[in-house]
Parts: sequence; structure tokens; C-alpha cells
Amino acid sequence: MTEILRVEGLQKRFGGIVVSDNIHLTIGAGEILGLIGPNGAGKTSLFNLISGVLRPDAGSIFLNGQKIDGAPLYKRARMGIARTWQNMLLFRTMTVLDNMLVGPRDYAGESVTRLAFGRAGVRAAEAAMRARAMGILGRMGLESTASSMVVDLPFGQQKLIGLARTLMNDGPLLLLDEPMAGVEGAAYETMQRVVRQEAASGRAVCVVEHNVSFIRDLCSRAVFMANGKILQDGTVEDLIASATLTELYFGV
Amino acid sequence: MFEPIILLQILWTGIATSAPFVLLTVGFSLTLKVTGLWNFAQSGQMAIAFYTMFFAMNGLGLPLFAAVGLGVVMTAGSAVLIEIYGLQVFRDRQSGNLMFFIFTLILSEFVIYVITLLFGTEPETLYKSILSPVDIIGGIAVSEWDKTGIGLTILALGALYGFMRYTKEGQFLAAVADNAKLAELYGISAQRAYRVVAVISALFIVAAMYLIGSHGGIVPNSPLELVLSAVIGTLLGGIGRVFAAAWASIFLALIQSFSILFIGSRWQNLLLYGFLFATILLFPRGVRMPRLRLALIGR
Amino acid sequence: MDYLITLAILIAIYVILGASYNLVIGYGGLSTVAHPIFFAIGAYTTGLLSVNVPELPAVVNVLLGMVTAVVASVLLAGSALRVSGDYLLIASLGFQLGLLQLIKNLDFTGGPGGLSAIPSTILGAARGPAFLAITGAAAVACVFIIRAIVNGPYGRAISAMRDEELAFTALGRNAMSMKIAIFAIGCGMAGGAGGIYAYYFQYISPDQFEVLASATILTMVVLGGMGTPFGPVVGAILLLAIPQAITFLQLPPAIMAPTQGIIFTVLVLVFLYLRPAGILGNKARAI
Ligand SMILES: Nc1ncnc2c1ncn2[C@@H]1O[C@H](COP(=O)(O)OP(=O)(O)OP(=O)(O)O)[C@@H](O)[C@H]1O
Ligand SMILES: [Mg+2]
Repeated sequence: MTEILRVEGLQKRFGGIVVSDNIHLTIGAGEILGLIGPNGAGKTSLFNLISGVLRPDAGSIFLNGQKIDGAPLYKRARMGIARTWQNMLLFRTMTVLDNMLVGPRDYAGESVTRLAFGRAGVRAAEAAMRARAMGILGRMGLESTASSMVVDLPFGQQKLIGLARTLMNDGPLLLLDEPMAGVEGAAYETMQRVVRQEAASGRAVCVVEHNVSFIRDLCSRAVFMANGKILQDGTVEDLIASATLTELYFGV
Repeated sequence: MFEPIILLQILWTGIATSAPFVLLTVGFSLTLKVTGLWNFAQSGQMAIAFYTMFFAMNGLGLPLFAAVGLGVVMTAGSAVLIEIYGLQVFRDRQSGNLMFFIFTLILSEFVIYVITLLFGTEPETLYKSILSPVDIIGGIAVSEWDKTGIGLTILALGALYGFMRYTKEGQFLAAVADNAKLAELYGISAQRAYRVVAVISALFIVAAMYLIGSHGGIVPNSPLELVLSAVIGTLLGGIGRVFAAAWASIFLALIQSFSILFIGSRWQNLLLYGFLFATILLFPRGVRMPRLRLALIGR
Repeated sequence: MDYLITLAILIAIYVILGASYNLVIGYGGLSTVAHPIFFAIGAYTTGLLSVNVPELPAVVNVLLGMVTAVVASVLLAGSALRVSGDYLLIASLGFQLGLLQLIKNLDFTGGPGGLSAIPSTILGAARGPAFLAITGAAAVACVFIIRAIVNGPYGRAISAMRDEELAFTALGRNAMSMKIAIFAIGCGMAGGAGGIYAYYFQYISPDQFEVLASATILTMVVLGGMGTPFGPVVGAILLLAIPQAITFLQLPPAIMAPTQGIIFTVLVLVFLYLRPAGILGNKARAI
């Protein structure tokens, strides 16, 4: 299995809180890694460090074997790190389709010079992007929402749109932060199917999720984090079976 | 030219001249600290303060204390009205920074236009003569105005310090300044704090306008420039640091006075803005006191 | 007639200022108050060039004015935005005041008395109508260029950035360079308006570009409807034309000027209370 992401000795603290304590992690192409742990364990912070929202105090991050430590957030996205957000961060004043169209890694239409001098090219690119966006929405059964304002949709659909927008970035790494929080019913199946399809296409996927059955259904491997440390890395069954982890997680 | 006595004279006059600016800056900075607003409506209040006193003394022939009393009533009254029927309305609507900027500035403009209509654009002073009797103390010329200015400023700052430190109301102000939402949870009314601050800054404004108006001529537009000097002092002192802002305006006045020794007088204002520029670019969070002291000693 | 032409030219100039300012604050979400200083930079650059380098054609002077405004705006936004978005508000105010002070103190700018004797470029009876045609065309062009910018893919990116900058950046977009670009486009247009202004009125002085001018332009944008393509047009026309309505009363200047000011400010205050989203704006975007 080719390695997509490698994290080495990642270290980050906020004042007295250590959110990443010597984190080592690799994810391979086609793999779906589950990341679980109690609230405040440092899961979102790890995503922030990998995607470039936060700078680590020490340690390195490699994408496809290439060190990306110096690259800012937007460049890492262009290199192919796609992520979702725990609280979605949808563009509130825009339609679903417009939200999607901000998603592609590189898009000629968003340059002033191209706007002035390359209209025909922009039009072609725009049409291609629209087709791709509609394709992704279609896979999730959301075509009918394309022209709705995102704020007018129910929470579960907004959650799916957050994922759909991220999928417009077709890079090698996909980080999903609690995709199932607050989602019920049909969206569960959709989410499972779409994440599997993405992995099957050769992307490396990492899913943070409190819903353990979602992780069990989806992942063969998972890591458990608490207090900024990775306490265990193994099969989901092992993690669930571990008494210490269960205690840490559920506080029993 | 660099004789000690001259330097001392410049130092003294510089400090004395800074008095009204210190008062205006403190009023402005305190308001910013507690309400979080760059309240440009204070320039309108400055105009109200001066022209009320001017009219009371020269139009109605009232004695000084009555004129000042009237000035306080008008200025504090308008400040509280603006707070209740203006700022609070926009707060309730959760308006943004720009809304408050327009509202306070346009309101001041409105006041200034009305005053222009009533009083014209000729420079006016509170007294017929702005000459103030001068004593020579230790070889330095000390005018009555200097003494009044410095005395009034020390008194006002002392009172403010005591108020903030030792009274419940003052501590409430600090709490609201720190975190209005949290303060409300503890039963402190933010609205009340805002009104108290409006009154306090009105008092500072009246004192400052008395000093400025008895020292030189004022036109309806002057307050717009005065409020800018308060903005500069506030920025230089560091947002939310009221007494540092006071020091900053003294420092600025001194720099301006001493610059006479080195550069032409017309460059003095430019120096003020040079400092503003440098602060904005180099010390976005305000110059800290130790640094300010060092800068003074370095001169 | 001359009076009406001058008023129309002034309105067209303020349409450019309002529309470009609207691009910066309404669409770009960048809090700045310093728009008049870029108007001033354009006006002074053009004015000074026309006085000191008479062989340069007017068009080149105006373009150089725009370029200077763009350079200054990039410097300001580049340094202020690195601190924070809110900081731009204060930094822009300081920039405006400081630069005006500099203009007042330098000799070659004419100091506080202003720069006069700017060549008239177009002579004869057709001067007014010709300037009106040029300024009007420039205003229309600005409004529609801005509309094209904010309606297309670029505009989609702008609103995404304004809505959720973090998510926008994490999708591979450089929010910082986009903000600087928006700021530069808006300020460059203001600079161009300054150049035309200098040529038409042949006289500029520093106090035309003070904070009051900031409030005036901002008011036009807010009143018309911030973040709408035609809001600033409506705002500029309304705020310049209505106070003029009393000129027929033939009041003495000492009464006329403040009365017009009172009409202007009362109009603004009433609108701020009753229709904070502006005439063409929708409530969701009230500032
Ligand atoms: N920017 C920040 N500044 C200071 N502290 C922070 C910051 N971001 C996160 N933290 C703290 O770091 C800790 C880890 O937060 P993080 O969001 O990574 O946890 P999490 O595992 O994602 O939790 P949850 O399951 O609740 O989402 C928390 O205690 C949080 O308060
Ligand atoms: Mg989290």
C-alpha cells in the first residue's frame, strides 16, 4: 500500500494544554483510518496541524513523501489535502452549487486577469466544474438542492453538503471531522457509501467520529487519542475491547 | 539655545499645553475601553460644551460657575441622550463597527452645522482677552492658565483613579470593559455602565473645552481636529489603557514643544502624525509604558 | 446650466468613489475608512504631473494617478491585514490622517492652501459637456466593471471569502492576496476619479479628503445599499442632489452652507435609523 500521509513527532501546545504530544501516524492510499477519543483529546487539532491551520511546535508532515511543513493552509489544499469541519463552515449567503464551485483545487475563473482576458476559457472551465459538482451532488442524492441557499436546508443535508464541497478537491488525502455528528437516518448510508467510494478510488481517508458503530462499519484500522497522545493504533475491535480505552472514553 | 532654563521652560509649557489634550484623550480612551466604541460623537459634545459656556458667559452674561454648570448639563445630557437613543439602538440591532463610525461622525457633523448656523465661523474665546497673568518662578514663566490646566488635570485624573479603584460603580465599569456579557451575568448592567462613562467623559470634555477656550480661539470645526488628537493619544497609549493614553498625550505634547529646537514649527503637527504612523506600523497594540519612558530619556 | 453640469460631474465622480468603496467594504468585507486618501493620491499625482511635467498627456497623468493609488493601497493593505482584519480600520484612518498632514506640510503640494493652476486641458464652450461625457462614461464603466467582477466566478470567491474565510482558505484559495487585489482595484478606481476631479476643478486642497469625506462616501454606500451593484449610484445622487434643492432659495452663503450640511446629516441619520440596510439593500446585509 503506498503511503499518502506521514506524520512524524508532531508536537503542539496551547499554554498548558498539550494538544499533540509526539504524534506519529501514517495513512496509505485506499485506507480509511478511524480517529477516536474523548472531547478535547486533540483530534481536531491534529487535523488543523495536518491541513496547515495550525503550525506545530515541532515535528514534520509528509504528503506523498514530500515534506510540506513550510506550506501555508491554502497551498496544502492545492497539494491535495481536503478536509471538512466539525461545524461545517458553509458559505451562508450562497447556494449549494456555488458552495461546491469554490471547492476545486485550482480554478481559472477566480483570477482578475483571466476575467478580463480569457473569458472563453473561463466559460469552458466553469461548465466543466458545474458538471463535476452536479455529479458529486448526484452521488449523494442532493441534485435537487443545487440552487437552494445552504441555510435553508435541514442540518443533515448541510452536513452532506459540507462533505460534497470538500470532495470537489480531488487530492490524495481526505480528512473528515465528525461527519456523523447530528446526522440521522438516510444520511448514514449515504455517508458510508461515499466515503468507501472515495477510498476505493485510491485516496487516503481519515475520519474523526464519536459514533463508534460508524467507525466500526467503515474502518479496519483506527487510532485512539487522549490528551494529545495516540494511546493505541490497531483494529477497531481491539480498540473497543480495550478496557482502559473504554474507561477513558466513556468515563465509566 | 540649549540652556537649561530654556529647556525647563519648554518642558513646563509643553506639559501645561498638554493638559486639555490629556483630558480629551482620557475621556475618549475610557469610552473606548468600556463601550468598545471609537466614539466620534465626542467631537460634537466638545462643540456643545464650548459653545454652551461661550453663550452663557458672553450672551447671557452668567458668571463662570454658572456657565460651567450649564456646560456640564448640556454636554452630559447630550452624551446620555446619544447613548440611550443612538448607540444603544444600534447595539440592540447588532450593528457593526462601520455603522457606529458613520453614526457618531455624522451626528457630530450635524451638531457642528447647527452650531455654525447659530454662531458663525469666526474664532471665539470664552473671555474677551486670552492673556493670562504670568509669574516668574525660578526663572520660568508660569501663567495662571498653566496652573489651572495642570491643577484641573491632576484633579480629574486623581478623581477618575479613585473612582475606578474604590467605588462600586467604578469597578462595575472595569467589569463591563473586561467582558460586558459576563458582567451582565453577575447582575451588572452594561447599559448603566455605558451611561456612567458618557457622563464621566462629558465632565472631562467640559474641563478640556474650558481650558482650550480660555487659551485660544475655537471655530465650530475645531472639535473634529481635537478628537483626532485624542484618537492618536489613544492609539499610542495602547487601546484599553486609559492612563497610558494620558501619558502618551503628554509625551506627544512634549515632543512637539521640544521639536522647536530642531525643526520649524510648521512641522510639529507632522511629527504627531509621524508618531501615529510609526505606532500603527510598528506597535499595533500600542506603545508600552517602559518603552515610552525610554523614548523620553533617549531624547 | 454650468452649475448643473458641475453638479452632474460631481455626482459621477462620487458614483465612482461610492461604487469602488462598495467593492472594498460591501463585497470584500474590508473595513477601511481611508477611501478619500486614494482619491487624494490620484488627484495630487495627476495635478502635480500636469503642473510640473506639462508635456505628458492628460490620459497618462490620470493613469499614473491610478497606479500610484494602487501602489499605496497595496502597501497599506499588505502591512495592516497581516495584523488582523479589524486593524485595517484603524490603520487606514492613521494612513489617511498622516498622509494629509504630509501634504499640508510639503511645499510642492501647495500646502494647506491646496494645489491650484492645474491646466484646464479642454478649452472652450464644450469643456463642461466634454468633461461630463468623460466622467459619466468612467462612472458607468466602473459600476459595470464592478458588477462583472462580483457576478462572475471571481465574485463567488469573494462572497465565499467574506462568509467563511477559514473554509475558503482551506479550499486552496489565498484570501490575503484576494483581499489585497480587491483593495487595489477599489483604490485604483478612486485614484482615477481623483485625476479627473483635478483636471475638471483645476484646484485641489487637502481638507477635501479629510475624515468627513470618508463619512460622506461611506454614507452614500450605506444609504444606497451596501453590497448591491447600484446602491452607491442611488446614494451618491440622493446625497449630492437633495441638499442642492435649496439653492433656489438664494440664501446668503453663511446660511446656505450649514443648512445644506444639516439637510445632508439629518437625511443620513434618518436613514440609519429607519433603513439601515439602505434603499436597495436587503435586511440580511445591514451593517
Ligand atoms: N486555538 C486554540 N487555542 C487554545 N486552545 C485550543 C485551541 N484549539 C484547541 N484548543 C484546546 O485544545 C484541546 C483539544 O481540542 P480539539 O478541538 O483538538 O479536541 P477534539 O479532540 O477535536 O475534541 P471534540 O471531540 O470535542 O471535537 C481542547 O482543550 C481545546 O480547548
Ligand atoms: Mg473536534
